[in-house]
Amino acid sequence: MAAIPNPMEHGHDHGHGHEPGLQHQYEDMAQQSETYIVGMWSFLVSEVMFFGALFLIYTLYRWNYQVDFYIAHEHLDVKLGAINTTVLLFSSFTMVMAVQSAQLKERIRVMGYLAATVLCACTFLVIKYFEYKSKFADHLYPGVSFADDAVKAFGPHALENGHVAVNMNHAQLFYGLYFGMTGLHAVHIIVGIGILLSLIRLWYNRAKTVIHDYVPTEMVGLYWHFVDLVWIFLFPLFYLMPIPR
Amino acid sequence: MSSTGKVTGELQHQPQTEEVNYLNNGHTIASWLLTGDHKRIAMLYLISTTFFFFLGSLAAGLVRFELTSPAGVVLESETYNKVFSSHGILMIFTFLVVAIPAIFGNFLIPLMIGARDLAFPRLNLASWYMFMTGGILILIGFIAGGVDTGWTFYTPYSSMYSNTQVSLVLVGVFIGGFSSITTGVNFVATIHKMRAPGMTWFRLPLFVWAMYATSLLLILGTPVVAITLLLVVFERLFKLPIFSPELGGDPVLFQHLFWFYSHPAVYIMILPAFGVISELIANFSRKRIFGYHFVAFSSIAIAGLGFLVWGHHMFVSSQSMYESVVFSLISFLVAVPSAIKIFNWTTTMYKGNVRLQSPMLFAIFFLLIFTVGGLTGLYLGCIGTDVHLTATYFVVAHFHYVMVGGTMLGFLGALHYWWPKMTGRLYSENIARATAYIVFVGFNLTFFPQFILGWMGMPRRYHYYYFAPEFQAYHIMSSLGASVLGLGFILPAFYLTMSLINGKKAGPNPWQAHGLEWETSSPPPTANFLETPIVMDEVYDFDPVSEHQQNMADLEKREASDNDGNMPIEDHD
Amino acid sequence: MANPAASHSHEHHIVATSTYVKTLLALVALMALTVWASFIQIPAIGPISGTVANQVVALAIALVKAFLVVTIFMGVKFGTKLIKLWASLGFIWVLLIFTILGDYTTRHFEPAPSWDGKADSALPRVAPDEPKIPAQNDLNVKIRE
Repeated sequence: MAAIPNPMEHGHDHGHGHEPGLQHQYEDMAQQSETYIVGMWSFLVSEVMFFGALFLIYTLYRWNYQVDFYIAHEHLDVKLGAINTTVLLFSSFTMVMAVQSAQLKERIRVMGYLAATVLCACTFLVIKYFEYKSKFADHLYPGVSFADDAVKAFGPHALENGHVAVNMNHAQLFYGLYFGMTGLHAVHIIVGIGILLSLIRLWYNRAKTVIHDYVPTEMVGLYWHFVDLVWIFLFPLFYLMPIPR
Repeated sequence: MSSTGKVTGELQHQPQTEEVNYLNNGHTIASWLLTGDHKRIAMLYLISTTFFFFLGSLAAGLVRFELTSPAGVVLESETYNKVFSSHGILMIFTFLVVAIPAIFGNFLIPLMIGARDLAFPRLNLASWYMFMTGGILILIGFIAGGVDTGWTFYTPYSSMYSNTQVSLVLVGVFIGGFSSITTGVNFVATIHKMRAPGMTWFRLPLFVWAMYATSLLLILGTPVVAITLLLVVFERLFKLPIFSPELGGDPVLFQHLFWFYSHPAVYIMILPAFGVISELIANFSRKRIFGYHFVAFSSIAIAGLGFLVWGHHMFVSSQSMYESVVFSLISFLVAVPSAIKIFNWTTTMYKGNVRLQSPMLFAIFFLLIFTVGGLTGLYLGCIGTDVHLTATYFVVAHFHYVMVGGTMLGFLGALHYWWPKMTGRLYSENIARATAYIVFVGFNLTFFPQFILGWMGMPRRYHYYYFAPEFQAYHIMSSLGASVLGLGFILPAFYLTMSLINGKKAGPNPWQAHGLEWETSSPPPTANFLETPIVMDEVYDFDPVSEHQQNMADLEKREASDNDGNMPIEDHD
Repeated sequence: MANPAASHSHEHHIVATSTYVKTLLALVALMALTVWASFIQIPAIGPISGTVANQVVALAIALVKAFLVVTIFMGVKFGTKLIKLWASLGFIWVLLIFTILGDYTTRHFEPAPSWDGKADSALPRVAPDEPKIPAQNDLNVKIRE
C-alpha cells in the first residue's frame, strides 16, 4: 500500500520531527515557503490591478487636458518629490537587506534594517505632510469652492484679461487625482509601517514564525517593494510633466 | 473507484457512529468562529449566504408583487428603486459571487486535491469575517434607507445626486470585495502547491479547474471595481471629482471601469457552476467527461476572454461605435467555450449509465436553461438587436436565465450532491426530485414571459406599465411563476434541515462517485484524510465494463428490495 | 545554528549585498536621470511631438527602475517559473485596463463616412419625415397614439 503516513496520525504532536514554524497543512518547509510566496504575489497582482485603474483614469484625463494639467502641476514641488523618491528607494534597499539578514538568521541586523525601513517610511510621510499642507494652504484641494478659492494660486495664469486662462475644473480634476492617488499610496505606506512594526516586534520576541523561516519577512518585503514600485510611477507622472507643445 | 494507492474498502469498516469528524471536533462557539478548518468555514459561509439569499428573495418577491398591476400595487417609485437595488446588490455581491466558491470551493478543493487544508487557513477565516462585515454594512445601509441607484451605481447619479445610503452600501461592497480577493489568493496558492502526490493538473477534477479559473477572475477583476466604487464614495464624501461631467469628467468612464469587473464577475458566478455540472454529469452518467482537456481549457479561455467583452453592457452609452463593434465580435467569441462545455456535457451523457437522482436532475435542467440563457445573450451581444432590447425585460430574463438557471441550479445541484459528504446525512430523495421539477417549472414560468415582455418593450426597473396594460398578463404569469420558484427554493431549507435531525447517516460514498473527496468518511475528519492519498489515474476513471456489470447488479438489487426513494447507501468497490 | 543553506532548498539562494547596493545606486542614478530629462525639452521627432517624446523617456526610465525593483529586490530573477509567470501576468494584465482608452480615441470618428464620399455619413442623421408605424402583430400589442 503506497501511502504517506499523515503526521496527524501521530496525534497533535507538531514539534516532533518537524521543522519549527511548519504549519499543519504543509508537508515540508519548502512547500510552505513556495506557497507563501505564490500567495503574496497573487495578492500583489490584485494590488497592481487596483492601482492600474487609477493610472488609467489619470492617463485619460491628462491626455485630454494636457495644458490645464501642466499648469496645475506646477504647484507640486519637484525637489520634495525627488527626495521622497530617493527615500523610498533607500527604504526598499534596507528592506531587502532585512530579508537577506533574515535568510542568514541574523536577528539584530534584521531588526536594524527593518527599523531603518520604518524610519525612511516615516520620513516619506513627513515630507508628504508638508507637501499636502502647502496645497491646503493654497486651497488647492478638490471641493465645491475650488474654482473660487484656488484661483489665486495660479498666479500669472489666472485672471488674464478678466477671465481665467486655466480651466479651474480641469485643475480640480488634477488635484482630485493627485490627492486620490498619492493619498491611497500614503495609506499603503501607513499600513506598511504598521506591518513592519509588527514584524520588528515578532523578531524582538523571537517568535517562531519569523526566527526559523525567513519567508514571512520576505513577504513583507514584497509588499514594501510594491509600494515603492507604485511611487516609481507616480513620481514622473505627477511631478515631471513635460510642457505641452 | 478512483485509482489511488490506498487499499479500498478500509473506510467502510470505520464505525459509523461517534467518530471524530470536523463537525463534532469542538463544540464551542469559539471553535467555530475562530476555526481554521476550511470545512467549518465553508459551513459558516453556507449559513451566511443562505441568509443573504433569503433577504434578496424577499426583495424579489416584493418586486414581482408590485408588477402584477400596471399602475403598481404598494410601492412608490423611489421605494421600488430601493427594492430592486437591494435585490441586485444582495443577490450579486453577497450570494452569487460568493456562494459556490466560498462554500463548495472552500470545502472541496483540499479534499479533491488530497490536501489537509487550504494554503492559508487564517486568511480563509479573515475572508469570512470580511464578507460578514461587508454584508452587515450593506444591510445597515438598507435599513438606514437603502440605495436607489440600482446595483450598477451609475454616475453621476450615485456620486452626486442620489440622496440615499450610497456611501455606506458601497463601503460594504468594497470590504466584501476583499473577501473575494483573499479567497482567490487562497485557492490559487492551494491548487498550485498543495496537490497530493500523483495529482497532476490533468488528473484534477474539473471542478478544481473551474475554481482555478474563477480565482484568476477574482484576483484580477475585483480590485478594479473596488477602486471604482471607492472613488464614487470619495466623490460623495470628499467631493473628489473623477466622474463629474461638470468638471470635464466622463460618467461613461465609471461604466467602463465598473463593467471591466462586472463582466468577469458574471463569469465568476457561472464558472464554479460549470465545475459543479462537470462533476455531476460525469458521476451520474458513470462515464468519463467527454473532452476533459477541452472543458479544462475552456474554463481558462472563458476567464481570459471574459475580460475583453465588458463594453457589450455599454452599447447605448455613447461608447465609440468602433469599440462596440470589437466588443460585439469578442462577445460572440466568448460564447464558444461555453458552448463547447455544453456540447461536451451532453456528449458525456450519451451512452452513459445515466441515473436521474436529484443532483443529476438539477444538472440536466441546468443544461436546458443555461443554453437558453446563453443563446439569448447572443441577441444582446449583437449591436443592432441590442439597441432595441437593452434596458428591457429581455436583458432581465437573459441574466436570470444564466444566473438563476445557471448558478442557482449549479448551487442546488452541488448542495444536494455534496450534502451527505458535508453533513453525513441523507435527505429524502423523493422530495428532492420533486423540488428539482418545481424549481424548473417555476423558473421557466417566471422568466420566459419576461423575454416576451422585453421584446414587446417593457422597460427594466419600472414599477408601472400603465402605458401598456396588455403586458399585465405576462407579468402575472411571471409573478405566479415566482411563487412556484419561491416554493422550490424554500423546500430544500426544510428537507435538508430535517435530514440533519432524522436523516439516515451517509457512508463515505453514497453516490458511488469518483473523486478523492468520496474516499474519506462523511463528514470528513478535520485533517481530511487519515493518510495522504497517492493518485495514480485521473479522477473520472470509469471503466465501461465494470460500470455495466454494476448497473446490472444495482438493477437486480433495486427490483428485489423495496425502494423507498432513498439514495442507495451501500458502497461498492 | 544549523547551516542555513541546508535547511532551505535550492531556490532560496542568497543574493550578495553588493548586488543590492549596485541596484540601489542604479535606481538613484535613474531617478536623477529622469529628473534631469524632464527639464530638457526634446524636440519633435517627425510626427511625434516633443511632449510625447519627453513622456516616453520618463516612462521608459520608470519601467527600467520598475524592472530592477521587480527582478532584483523582489527576487523574481531568482524565483521559480511560476513566480515569473505571475509577476509578468500581473503587469501585462493591467495594460488591459488601458484598452478603455480605445473608446476615447475612436469616439470622435463617428459617424461612419459614406462609401462614396458624397454624403456626410453612411447612416442618415436626419429625422425621417414620417414616423414609421409598425403593423399590428400577433401578440396583440396595440400601437400607441
